[in-house]
Amino acid sequence: MKKKLLSVLLSATMVFSLAACGGSSNGESTSADKETATEESAEKTTEASGETAESSDGAAEESAAASDIDTSEHVVINYMTTGDRPDGAAAERLNEMLAKLNEILTEKVNAELEIYYIEWTDYLSNYNLTLAQMDGSVDLVGTASDWLDAWPNAKNGAFLALSEDMLKTYAPKTWASVPAEHWDMCKYDGDIYLMPEDNYAQWTNHGFIYRLDWAKDAGLADGVHSWEDLTTYFKYVKENHPELKAVWDSDGTQYAQMANGWIASHTNFVAIDGLATGALWGGTKDDLYTVVTPVMTETDSLVKYAEMMKEWDTIGVWPTDVLNNTSSQNRDEYRVGQVAAEQHHTQTWTDLCSATEANTIYADDPKAESGFFYFGEETDNVVALSITHGAMAVSAASQNPERALMVYDLIRNDPECYKLFNYGIEGVSYEINADGLRETPEGYDSTSDNINGMTNYWWGRNDDIEIRDASRNWTEIDKLYAKYDGIKIDYPYGQFVPDVDSIQAKIDNCNEVYTNYMKQISFGKYTGTAEEIVAEMQAALEQAGIADVAAELQTQIDALYK
Amino acid sequence: MGNSKNTNSVTPRKKRGFFENVVKYRTLILMCIPAIVFFFMFSYMPLPGIWVAFVKYNYGKGIFGSKFIGLQNFEFLASSGKLLTLTKNTILYNLAFILLGNFLAIVMAILLNEMQAKLFKKVAQTMMFLPYFISQVLVGVLVFNLLNYDTGFINGILEAFGLEKWQPYADPNVWPVLLVVIYLWQQTGYNSVVYFAAICGIDAEIIEASKVDGANAFQRIRYIILPSLKPTIIILLLFALGGIVKGNFGLFYNIIGTNSLLYDTTDIIETFVYRATMTDFNFSTASAVGLYQSIVGFVIVMVVNGVIKKIDPEYSLF
Repeated sequence: MKKKLLSVLLSATMVFSLAACGGSSNGESTSADKETATEESAEKTTEASGETAESSDGAAEESAAASDIDTSEHVVINYMTTGDRPDGAAAERLNEMLAKLNEILTEKVNAELEIYYIEWTDYLSNYNLTLAQMDGSVDLVGTASDWLDAWPNAKNGAFLALSEDMLKTYAPKTWASVPAEHWDMCKYDGDIYLMPEDNYAQWTNHGFIYRLDWAKDAGLADGVHSWEDLTTYFKYVKENHPELKAVWDSDGTQYAQMANGWIASHTNFVAIDGLATGALWGGTKDDLYTVVTPVMTETDSLVKYAEMMKEWDTIGVWPTDVLNNTSSQNRDEYRVGQVAAEQHHTQTWTDLCSATEANTIYADDPKAESGFFYFGEETDNVVALSITHGAMAVSAASQNPERALMVYDLIRNDPECYKLFNYGIEGVSYEINADGLRETPEGYDSTSDNINGMTNYWWGRNDDIEIRDASRNWTEIDKLYAKYDGIKIDYPYGQFVPDVDSIQAKIDNCNEVYTNYMKQISFGKYTGTAEEIVAEMQAALEQAGIADVAAELQTQIDALYK
Repeated sequence: MGNSKNTNSVTPRKKRGFFENVVKYRTLILMCIPAIVFFFMFSYMPLPGIWVAFVKYNYGKGIFGSKFIGLQNFEFLASSGKLLTLTKNTILYNLAFILLGNFLAIVMAILLNEMQAKLFKKVAQTMMFLPYFISQVLVGVLVFNLLNYDTGFINGILEAFGLEKWQPYADPNVWPVLLVVIYLWQQTGYNSVVYFAAICGIDAEIIEASKVDGANAFQRIRYIILPSLKPTIIILLLFALGGIVKGNFGLFYNIIGTNSLLYDTTDIIETFVYRATMTDFNFSTASAVGLYQSIVGFVIVMVVNGVIKKIDPEYSLF
C-alpha cells in the first residue's frame, strides 16, 4: 500500500513538473494562446473595418476634399520595417529626426510616426508572426512581393484592401502618381493591397561583387565577365592573398541566388517571383507565357554547375562548414578588405564600389576597385525588378487606416517629410553641395548619423525628390545602368498573383527538396558524381510534384494572358 | 505518511458514488484545484483550436470563420514521402533520450546518494545541473565552435598533434551519437533530481535494518533502492512515452540548423515542418502536424498503459 501511496505522490509531483514544462516549452499551447488572441483581435478588426467602410463612404459622398477629413483626434501611426533597432547615439539622432518629422505630421494630419522594427535575425518569421497577431500594433507595413511575402499575407487577410475612394481621399498624391497599369499589378482578386515603389530607379539583379584590381592582377584585364572568369579570380585570390579571412565568407543561404544566377547566365529563363525560395517555375524570354522548369530540363548545364562548385569548394572559396555558418558578416568584411567577394544585387554594388567612409578598402589601397559580375551577363538575360519589390501596405488590424494613408502620402510625396525621413536633419546627417548632390557634413559620424540606414524606407522612394549621394561612384554606376537599360526586359508577371491553395503542399515539398539538394550542389558538398546528385534531385522533384505545379500555373497563366 | 494508516483501516471496499467521493476527499480535491484550473485553462480550453488544422486559416476571419477544407492540410505531410523517415528519426532519437537519459539519471542519483563528502556532493550536483540552464541557442554555438573544421577547438588540437582533421558537419553518421551525448550532458543533472528525491523518500528504517543485517552498498542498491524506485521509473517512462513523437526542436535546429547534408540522420518532424512551412507561414499545416503527433502519442500511451495494466495493474497510470 505504501508503494502505491509513494507512486501517487510522485505522479503528483510529476504532474506539476510537467505543468511547468508545459508553460515554457510546449509550443502547441503557446500557439493556441496566440490563436485565441488572434480571434479576439479579429473581432475588433471587423468592427474597425466596418467603421472604415462607413467613413470612407461618407467621405466619398461629401466630395473628396482633404479639408473635410476629420483629424481632430491625435493618433500614433506605427510604421513596420525590417531592420535592427538603432541604439545609443544613433537612436538619439533618430529620435531628433522623428521629433522634427512628427511636428510636421502633427500640424498637417494630426498624427505622429513611430517605427516598429523587425530585426534581421529570422526576419521573415518575425515579420509574418507580427502581422498574424492582428492586434493593431502596426499600421503601415513595408512589404515586398518577392522577399517579404506580400501576397501570402494579403491572401491570409493581414492587409487591408484599399478601395479607390480611400486612396483618392487619403493618399491623393500617391494615387495620382501611380499609373493605372501599376495599380493593376497591386491587385489581388480585384482589390488593391499594395502601394508600389514604382518611381525609383534601382537594380536588384544579383551577381558577384569582386575586387577589380585583383582580377586585373589575375590576368583578367577586362574584369570578370563569366562564371569561368570567377573560377580564375577565386583561384588567384586564394593563392596570392593569404591575409584574407576567407575568399568569400559565405553562409549557407547563398545557394538560392547562386543557382538562380547560374540558370540566368546559361538560359533565357525568366522566373516567376514569390512562389518559393528557388526560382523553379517561369517562362523564357522568347515565350514568356509557357511555363518551364529549367531545373528539370537543363540537366547538362546543372551538372556543369555542380562540377564547378565542387572545384570552388576544393579551391577553398568559402569556409569548410559553410552550411552551418549562420553569422557571416561578409559585406562588412568586404568593406574593410577581409574578403574578396560578395554575392548580392546591383544596388549593393553601387554602395560597395564607392569610396564612402565605411568602405575603408579605398582609403587603405588607392588601387582598390570593385567590379560587378551580374548573373545573366553571358546571355544578356536581365529582368528589371518588379514594382512590388518594395511596397507599402496597411495592416488589416490598423485602428487608423485613413490616417496611416495620409502619413504615407506625406512621407512619399512631400519633399520636406521625405528628406527628413530618408536623409535626416539637414546640416547634421547630410548637406547639399554645389552640384546639387548629397554630401556628409563636417563632423558626420556614419555610425550614428546615417538616418537612411535606420528608417529603412524602401517602400515608396521617389526619384522626383531623391537627391543623389555625392559619395557614390556615379560614373561607373551610370555606365552599368545604361548597359542594363539596353538589354533588360520588364518583369513580365507583375499582374500574375497565382491562387496556390490547391498546389501549396506540392510547392512546399518541391521547395524543400530543391533547397536540400541545391545547398549541397551549390557548395560542392555532395558525395558521388555531379551527374548522380543532379539526377537524384530531379527524381525527388518529380516525386514532389514539380510537374503538377507547372501544369496548374500554366492553366492560371493562360486564363490571365491568353 | 501518517495518513497511510488511516487509508489502510478502511477495509470494506464497496463502490461509492462520485459525489460521495467528492465530499469524502474534499481536502484532497481542494489541494488539487490549482492543477485542475491550470490544466483546464491551458489544455482543455484551447482544444477547440484544433479546428484550425481543418480550415484555410484567414487572419481576418478567425479560426471558426475560415473556410473548411477537410484533410487538405495533412496532405503535404503525406505527399512529402518523408513521413516514415521523419517519424522513425523522431521516435528513435526520443527512445535513446528517454532510455539512456533515465538510466544515466538513476545511476547519478544513486551515486550522489552514496556519496559521503557533503561538500563534494553539493558541488557535483550543482555542476551537473548547470548545463540545463544553458539556452539551446548557446549550446548550438558551443558545439559549432568545438567541432567546426576551420577554427574548431577539437580540430585545433588534432592539428596541433599533426593528426588528420575531423569534419563532423559533413558526416551524417556521427550525429546520432553526438546529439544523444549533448542531450545527456544537458539533461542528466535535471532528470536525476527526481530520482534523488525518490531515494531520499525511502524509509530510513529499511536501509538501517539492511545495514544491521550486514548488506554491503551494492546489495543495498540491488535489493532496496532499485525496487523502491520501480514505480517512479515506470511513471516517468510512461509520461515520457506520451511525447515520443514530439521532437526536441531546440536541440536539433540549433545544432544542425539547415545543413541539408545531415538531414538523413537528423531530420525530425519538427525541423522538417519548420522548414517546409516557413515559406508560406501556414498555421493550419503546422497545427495539422501537431495534431498528428498528438494522436500518435496518445495511441502509444494507451497501448503501453494497457500492456502494463495486463502485467501489473499496480503500476499502470489509470
